[in-house]
Amino acid sequence: MRNLITFFLKYSFFFVFAFLEIIAFMLLVSNNSYQRSAYISASNGATAGFQSNVSELADYFNLKIENKKLAVENARLRSQLKQSNLWHNDTLSEVSDTAKTQFYTYIHSQIISNSFQNRDNYIILDKGASSGIEVEMGVISSNGIVGIVNSVSENFCTVISILHSKSAIDATITSNSYSGTCYWPGENYLTGELNNIPSHSKFTKGDTIVTSGNSSIFPPNINIGFIDDFTLTPGRNFYDINIKYSVDYNKLHHVYIIHNLLKDELLKIKEVRDEK
Amino acid sequence: MKSKLILINTLRFVLLVLTQVFIFNKINLGGSVNPMIYPLFIILLPFETNKNLSLLYAFLLGLSIDLFSGSIGLHTSATVFMAFIRPLVFSLLKSNKAFENGILPGINDLGAVWFVSYTALLVLAHHIFFFFVEAFSFDEFWHTSYKLLLSTASSIVLIIFIDVLFKSQKQR
Repeated sequence: MRNLITFFLKYSFFFVFAFLEIIAFMLLVSNNSYQRSAYISASNGATAGFQSNVSELADYFNLKIENKKLAVENARLRSQLKQSNLWHNDTLSEVSDTAKTQFYTYIHSQIISNSFQNRDNYIILDKGASSGIEVEMGVISSNGIVGIVNSVSENFCTVISILHSKSAIDATITSNSYSGTCYWPGENYLTGELNNIPSHSKFTKGDTIVTSGNSSIFPPNINIGFIDDFTLTPGRNFYDINIKYSVDYNKLHHVYIIHNLLKDELLKIKEVRDEK
Repeated sequence: MKSKLILINTLRFVLLVLTQVFIFNKINLGGSVNPMIYPLFIILLPFETNKNLSLLYAFLLGLSIDLFSGSIGLHTSATVFMAFIRPLVFSLLKSNKAFENGILPGINDLGAVWFVSYTALLVLAHHIFFFFVEAFSFDEFWHTSYKLLLSTASSIVLIIFIDVLFKSQKQR
């Protein structure tokens, strides 16, 4: 027994090291699981409050650019209004609201902290359960897609960025309507990959890639990026396509969280399909 | 003297964490280079610091960086590993001056060559551990190594620059 104690004391440096590393790895593994409500600790408590103050300060430096961006977006939305259309037929009018059902609503939110240099990146936003945010809502900015809500606390939520090893977004090439899946290979925060586009399809550099709307998370036709270059390895059935993201993830400030109002119904009908 | 040392180290801890989190974490050169300056705290711990305590300091340092950057455990494990390697680096880089009490690991006491190689070895150890734990596989070995080397170079340059900047003011 005495020998054992002296042994432990003699090599205490190694044992303390091993002990602390085990704790660190336990923290790492338990917090990095994709679907578990991860990073709650980061979206809670003192650090988030502190970071929100700093990000508020930093926002002042970007006011000019942000104003411009919002003005451009306002203009675009205004041009979609009914009043800005020239009606050739005067008798045409919108009949009643029962003809349509609101599918998506958008909630404005501001970024508190954002990362883009890691292999797996997360974003913290200043809206939480108290504003009706739920897990698995989509997040977009005025330029395009941003990520998916991963965990929610009372006043904050964390978002799995598109810049994540597990991110896979259903995407469509606008010019030919072929759909594939969008991944982030992790080399550069400006570029991603599009897979599963069959070799017989035709497209060119610069074609726009948008969300396909196949998931219940993102509505269709939200920008993801543009085709940067592509190769077709002989003998393979699919193109390797590199895309350039339309959003500069380094410069994000204001985003919209998408609330799919009919999500429960959609999931229910999917469940019915899965049971069969 | 002792309490002064504690005060300096506490201040250094807080300042390094804040600058790392709010300035250097936002820097991203060429999309893949992310300089880290916080290992400077472990580098500058006095020689006579209790080894077990230095591990504990490293754990706290890594954890505070992790809490801010939302990567719990990642920086922590790398920094603890770095503190573990430190005594080995000391014995590897025997200096002309014995490690007497009161001498601090720094350019002034032990010379530029010693300090640069000491810093380089520790930062390299930290970054190797960090990037391979982050990738969590050897699948993307070359890509990870590329990121690792560029980040290591930028971190070493910045750490030495910061150390020289503050040391020279103190000496005058």
